[in-house]
Amino acid sequence: MKHFLRVLTQFLVFLYCKCLWQGLKFVVRKVTGRCELQRICYNNKPGARRTLKIESSLKCSKSELLQSAVSVHPDAVEKTIDDIMVLKKIHPDTNPQLGISLQACLFQIVGYRNLVLEVEKLRREPYDCENPEHEDMLMQLWKALRPESPLTGRISKQWCEIGFQGSDPKTDFRGMGLLGLHNLLYFSEHDKATALQMLHDSLQTKLSKMSKAEWEKKKFDKAIGYSFAIVGINITDLAYSLLVSGALKTHLYNVAPEMPSLVHFQQTFCYLMQEFHRFWVEEDPCDIMEFNRVRNKFHKRVLKQLKNLDMALCPHFTASDLHLVNL
Amino acid sequence: MAAAVGVNRPGTAGSMEACVRHGRGAAGNTVKVKRWDAVTSVLATPQVLECGVCEDVFSLQGEKVPRLLLCGHTVCHDCLTRLPLHGRAVRCPFDRQATELGDSGVWGLKKNFALLELLERLQNGASTQSGMSEDALREMGECIIRCDEDESHTASMYCTVCATHLCAECSQLTHSTRTLAKHRRVPLADKPHEKTLCPQHQVHAIEFVCLEEACQPGPLMCCVCKEYGKHQGHKHAVLEAEANQIRASILDMAHCIRTFTEEVSEYSRKLVGIVQQIEGGEQIVEDGVGMAHTEHVPGTAENARSCVRAYFADLHETLCRQEEMALSVVDAHVRERLIWLRQQQEDMTILLSQVSTACLHCEKTLQQDDCRVVLAKQEISRLLDTLQKQQQQFTEMADHVQLDAGIPVTFTKDNRVHIGPKMEIRVVTLGLDGAGKTTILFKLKQDEFMQPIPTIGFNVETVEYKNLKFTIWDVGGKHKLRPLWKHYYLNTQAVVFVIDSCHRDRLMEAHSELAKLLTEKELRDALLLIFANKQDVPGAVSVEEMTEQMSLHKLCCGRSWHIQGCDARSGVGLHEGLDWLSRQLVAAGVLDVA
Repeated sequence: MKHFLRVLTQFLVFLYCKCLWQGLKFVVRKVTGRCELQRICYNNKPGARRTLKIESSLKCSKSELLQSAVSVHPDAVEKTIDDIMVLKKIHPDTNPQLGISLQACLFQIVGYRNLVLEVEKLRREPYDCENPEHEDMLMQLWKALRPESPLTGRISKQWCEIGFQGSDPKTDFRGMGLLGLHNLLYFSEHDKATALQMLHDSLQTKLSKMSKAEWEKKKFDKAIGYSFAIVGINITDLAYSLLVSGALKTHLYNVAPEMPSLVHFQQTFCYLMQEFHRFWVEEDPCDIMEFNRVRNKFHKRVLKQLKNLDMALCPHFTASDLHLVNL
Repeated sequence: MAAAVGVNRPGTAGSMEACVRHGRGAAGNTVKVKRWDAVTSVLATPQVLECGVCEDVFSLQGEKVPRLLLCGHTVCHDCLTRLPLHGRAVRCPFDRQATELGDSGVWGLKKNFALLELLERLQNGASTQSGMSEDALREMGECIIRCDEDESHTASMYCTVCATHLCAECSQLTHSTRTLAKHRRVPLADKPHEKTLCPQHQVHAIEFVCLEEACQPGPLMCCVCKEYGKHQGHKHAVLEAEANQIRASILDMAHCIRTFTEEVSEYSRKLVGIVQQIEGGEQIVEDGVGMAHTEHVPGTAENARSCVRAYFADLHETLCRQEEMALSVVDAHVRERLIWLRQQQEDMTILLSQVSTACLHCEKTLQQDDCRVVLAKQEISRLLDTLQKQQQQFTEMADHVQLDAGIPVTFTKDNRVHIGPKMEIRVVTLGLDGAGKTTILFKLKQDEFMQPIPTIGFNVETVEYKNLKFTIWDVGGKHKLRPLWKHYYLNTQAVVFVIDSCHRDRLMEAHSELAKLLTEKELRDALLLIFANKQDVPGAVSVEEMTEQMSLHKLCCGRSWHIQGCDARSGVGLHEGLDWLSRQLVAAGVLDVA
């Protein structure tokens, strides 16, 4: 009985709140003469602020058309916008701006969803030694990072130089699949300066700060810096989890005026690599064993940054690389 | 026993009856005699003496042999073996008196020989009873030959010519004439055997033996049979020669039997010896002076018993020592805890008094005039500050400290005591890169399959399993990181070594890493659990094959280790591995209780 009463009370409270919210919306609509979507579009500047609100408004809508709008195919976006305008009885002539804004928002929302699917597909595709495309990408990665020394073989100890765990990089792509390789390649080709700097730093111990004796000890431990490639794969995991959790929405809605694409994700990866490297140097951990601690701290920091709705994680490309990046 | 006296005088039916009565009187209701008043019929049926328990008839040997109990009752062997044992004794089924059994059990009880003898006599008596007088006479006749002349005389010689038995007197009398006096008379013992006559040709004696196979049932023949009768043309031999031959063969056989008997008796002598050696007993020993005295020689049974006793005494001692140690640990814990609690009590009292002093001070200030109040403002604020600080400290402490009177106790395998809600165990997972260490860790932690990315550095998680709390350190397997593994060995109770079963060409690398690990001094006492991961992948090396290939038995010789096939993706085998670990670490039975 008691339990039943409690459930009933909860239900009534829920109904009350819902009625209150609906009533409030109704009143506001009557007073301002605009629907919720209109109000959001007029009151917020374009970018994450507007798109995030539109997204939640659409998701919570009673109308099935609006609910399904967030998951339509990109080609059907324009038609959906027209349908919404008709449903909400908004005349396109009196509100010319609204249609365009709504369309841009919807493109971003749909684009983000598609990007998640695309990234997931890439991640699930395992590295295949038989596939010449994959092999080719791996060779390109080597050439980008080590242009002066040629690779002695497909399976070689040399891979350890750029930070793979063993002599066959294939095993390191197990979790992140091709996504890791794509990201590493993009980073080392488009942000060559930073990549080479990182690689250089990873091979060097903090020699300058260390006394001779400490250096000897360190060398004995062979605990040298961190490994470029597997750090890249770890950061890919970080970026992936940010994307899947929806935290990257802020950034991507701000950065991509239309549909966010894989390039945007890869640029985010570049940003994260740059930032992580800087963060690592700032943190100055005593050896590689602290990697996970630093990584978690970095993750929290990025999440905090993304809470800010105006945040955009734009990488800083050096002038020499800028021509490669078409933003 | 009274029956024995009676039995020793056999013969007439009367004494037989008396003996049966005696037997009954002595053995009470043990030996039941049916229809004992009708003595003749009793004697006619040999099956008169029955076991009082199973009512089966006693036999001279085997299952139904009668055995004596200490109280005097007789029960058959079979029933005795079925009696329940009370320690080393059986209770008599009639008066519940206990009879101690030796090492040989029921076999060691004495047979009731009086009864056996009686039984034997009864059986013999029954078979011969019918024509007893005639039999007796015939037997007499065989041994006492009457004189042919006078029935009342006993013959002592035999006349070979007249073929008569004579006594010395009659011989003189009958052979007194000259012709008769020439008759050769021999003593009865030298009386020549009578020649057997052929049944078909009454006048001819049997002289030959037929050798034909077909005539073996009746091989004897006389000269007529040989020449003209049924054995005409058969192969034959002379009777005497044949008989001698058979005699020789019988002698041979007798010789054989004698050796066989010797062997059997030798064997039974040995048996007796062995039984004696096992049971032990008194032995007469001569000491240096030549004085003989008995000495108790312990049997092998006694030796074995004392060996067991010594072993368990040793165990008891160890257990007592361990118990004392465990109790001292508990004592120390209790003392420490009580001291801490008392300290806290004291602190709280002090705190209370401080607070009340402050309150008192405030109250006093309240009652003072305005000027004084204003003057006291600084002091009051200082007081409040300290109070606040103390309050903060108190709440902080209260958050941390869990007040719980329980003292949960667990035991390790080596009977050490552990106090605390969960036994904490430090485990390090090691292995080559890509073996699945992190996957296993997160599968155990969250029961979900994590997308594996190369571990840089380490992961550490605590996994609670049953009443154990595993702190698992998962260290990256990258080549460069391997020298750093040794920083994680300290105080590690167990090493989990993960091997990728579907990567055959890296088994040797894993082997060398494992071999390196096992030489570490810090890991000398650590348990070793080997996970053969990725068993789900087709073509994976099986656990047995891996044990063989990496020669794990040789490698892990002398330490407790276990290899467990598993699949980190689905989690199959992981908990079996942890089970093994906990079984190794925790005393048996404790896990089930918790």
